[in-house]
Amino acid sequence: MKRSYGSKEMAFAALAGVLYAFFGLLHIVEGLGIDTGMAGLLFIPGDILGGFCLVVIGAVFLNGLREMLQGINAGVSFVYVGILMSLIFAAVYLLIMGGNLLDSLIVPDDYEGWNVMETFRPGIYLGLISLFGIFHWKDKFSLNEVLVFREGA
Amino acid sequence: MTEKITIALAGNPNVGKTSIFNSITGSKQHVGNWPGVTVERKIGKKVHNDVMMEIVDLPGTYSLTAYSLDEIIARDFIIEEKPDVVVQVIDATNLERNMYLTTQLMELGVRLVIALNMTDLALAKGDNINEKKMQEFLEVPVISTIGSKGTGIEGLLDAVTEELHKTRVTENVFNYDNQIEERAEKLGVVLDSDPYFAHYPSRWFSLKLLEGDENIIKKAKESGSYPEIQKILNETDAEILEAKVADQRYKTIQTMLRQVCNINTCRLTGSDMVDRVVTNKVLGIPIFLSLMWAAFEITFTFATPFMNMIDIFFGWMAETATTVIPVPWMASLVGEGMIAGVGSVIIFLPNILLLFFMISLMEDSGYMARAAFIMDKIMSKVGLHGKSFIPLVMGFGCNVPAIMATRTIEDTRDRLITILITPFMSCGARLPVYVLLAGAFFGRDAGVVIFSLYALGILVAVVSAKLMRSTILKGEDTPFIMELPSYKIPTLRGSLIHMWERGKIYLKKAGTIILIGVVGVWLLASIPAPGSSGTFASEEIYGTTESMIGMIGQALEPLVTPLGFDWKIAVALVFGVVAKEIVVGSMGVLYGVGDNEENLSNILAAGAMTPLAALGLMVFTLLYVPCFACIGVIKRETGSWKWTLFQLAYGTTLAWVFAFVIYQVGTRMGLLA
Ligand SMILES: Nc1nc2c(ncn2[C@@H]2O[C@H](COP(=O)(O)OP(=O)(O)OP(=O)(O)O)[C@@H](O)[C@H]2O)c(=O)[nH]1
Ligand SMILES: [Mg+2]
Repeated sequence: MKRSYGSKEMAFAALAGVLYAFFGLLHIVEGLGIDTGMAGLLFIPGDILGGFCLVVIGAVFLNGLREMLQGINAGVSFVYVGILMSLIFAAVYLLIMGGNLLDSLIVPDDYEGWNVMETFRPGIYLGLISLFGIFHWKDKFSLNEVLVFREGA
Repeated sequence: MTEKITIALAGNPNVGKTSIFNSITGSKQHVGNWPGVTVERKIGKKVHNDVMMEIVDLPGTYSLTAYSLDEIIARDFIIEEKPDVVVQVIDATNLERNMYLTTQLMELGVRLVIALNMTDLALAKGDNINEKKMQEFLEVPVISTIGSKGTGIEGLLDAVTEELHKTRVTENVFNYDNQIEERAEKLGVVLDSDPYFAHYPSRWFSLKLLEGDENIIKKAKESGSYPEIQKILNETDAEILEAKVADQRYKTIQTMLRQVCNINTCRLTGSDMVDRVVTNKVLGIPIFLSLMWAAFEITFTFATPFMNMIDIFFGWMAETATTVIPVPWMASLVGEGMIAGVGSVIIFLPNILLLFFMISLMEDSGYMARAAFIMDKIMSKVGLHGKSFIPLVMGFGCNVPAIMATRTIEDTRDRLITILITPFMSCGARLPVYVLLAGAFFGRDAGVVIFSLYALGILVAVVSAKLMRSTILKGEDTPFIMELPSYKIPTLRGSLIHMWERGKIYLKKAGTIILIGVVGVWLLASIPAPGSSGTFASEEIYGTTESMIGMIGQALEPLVTPLGFDWKIAVALVFGVVAKEIVVGSMGVLYGVGDNEENLSNILAAGAMTPLAALGLMVFTLLYVPCFACIGVIKRETGSWKWTLFQLAYGTTLAWVFAFVIYQVGTRMGLLA
């Protein structure tokens, strides 16, 4: 049977999956108080729960990859939901950043020596990958739209 | 002279009845993308073509055989109160299941008009429905609508008024096999001869009897001719007949559908794709938790700047009030009482609005039903099922509608347990207490502390459910069946409206109950205690042990001293029973936020209590007696003071024990010191 979902989706799932899982783990490790040496460079906070969320997104992508490798075309669903989730999280982190910025204008005393980049998070720049994905597969993203799939054998 | 008529909006759950109701009447009843949103009937009015219409929005029901309370409400209205016209709202993307109710309504012989709703979705799915043919086939008007946009409503109302003046429709819509028909006829003869049954169409009643509808049999038992009826019924096995009747109805529906529409099957829709992922056995729960965490982060972090704005505003107000008002006691009433008290509650409006916004998103997207589905496995471990999970999530907003939402639970014991544990879900009104105390005492870790409180609430609820299930409320597991609605992208407007509808209630509460509450606290704090020599509202009296409130507080103090609370907290907790926000409001009044720069959280952190006591206070607020409104609804929905009192006693005992352990054990172990 010919696979209608090919290497592009799989490559995307592999890349996004590995990146999210890896960064999520870094969050968790930092959160446990272990210095990975990458915190400053990559803006990684010590945040166990936030890290868990990124790991979950990574797992969603990787599971999609696994299913597609097994020839289950509907595995691509995981890639779409992964993209959706990563965008949700990017939005959440951006809002938090915006909120902090706004707050620093309202009560500047509490924010002395503070820099907005302190609230910059990997969830934001990782989201760019998904943004690329959503533009690439844009036409598939209406939930009401019908997509034709068959479970692969 | 205008005619006055009653129109019932009936249909399966989540087909858009309330959306259509809102479009017709211009009201703003709650709409959500999950089955079971409406649980009581709502009435609205509309004049159309000189006809005065009283429109009744009903809860959803799959058939006229009702199981849960919300279904019973819908069924009873249609059968007993006989509306002039029944508008059945049908989900065009799910015709077969929806038409089952149609067959029953037609048999009942009501004047029926069909609103073929969600036609936009059907079109998008690629279905092709010929409503003209459908109308011919059913001999009932069929009008296409899009409830959420208000499309087709005029036509629907026209059809209703037209239907009103038509002569009666025939009752014999479907023919069953000979065995059933013969018995129905026999029963019909008996029913026709007994005036007791005159209220119901006899063919319909006979069929219902043959199907073994418990409610109908119960009604028949009260009549004089029951022995005769029983004799006919005993000739056959009700279960076999029930299956046969249902089978025949579905066959008729299928025959019709084949002729009137062309349904696109064999395809995986966007909704199916998302469901493959979010209801995945392994990933479902982690995804749910991640989304909860995201919602939580937004609710708390994004609110901060807006809270600071409100804080600055109220600080300025209080200051202005104290300088502008010349009479000291009046300045104190307005500044320290009203503004400080109400301000300390309103400051949490951003949190509350964001929380409601998140819940709206969850409801409107359709994810709520999935959450119930995912949690079913966990819930069944404690002897409940997924349906109980929805009220629990709603409870994060407000426990009152959450307890109402339990009406969709069929089993009465399941429902009772769910009602009893819902108050442990941390509602929006308790949130101010956490935000205030966690912010004051736990600084950077405030988020984790608050998250843990929510988790503790869930844990207590779940463990309590298990406890009740295995002791006082034993029962069997009932199967969990719930339709998963298709996902809809929530509109910003819709979610904002929902948010505002609920946020408005919070604001209104701040302006009424809470204002009265804090003024009450201020008064008690200003009136000298009997035997005290101070004068009303003077500085040596206000908020000290020399005042009335001080006296009351000190009487209560022994109860809370073991928890590390002082008398002010004791008083705040007592007033908090009126509405939980008053806990914070009265603390604002009692700890005097006066005209100095310090705000309430700084004063508290400066030594009013220890971090452990603060943690205990948060847990106490979470678990103890819910607010008046909630107590009222528990009483109404359980119909029993016994269970209501049980909930209050159980919760308060737990609250005390938890706070005691946290404070005493924590202090001994030197935690958080
Ligand atoms: N796309 C689309 N969505 C609709 C339409 N009508 C209603 N909806 C949506 O469908 C969902 C359910 O609508 P409600 O009006 O709450 O349905 P209900 O029948 O009252 O539901 P219950 O009270 O739970 O029985 C909501 O998310 C509505 O916004 C429609 O014609 N098209
Ligand atoms: Mg409704």
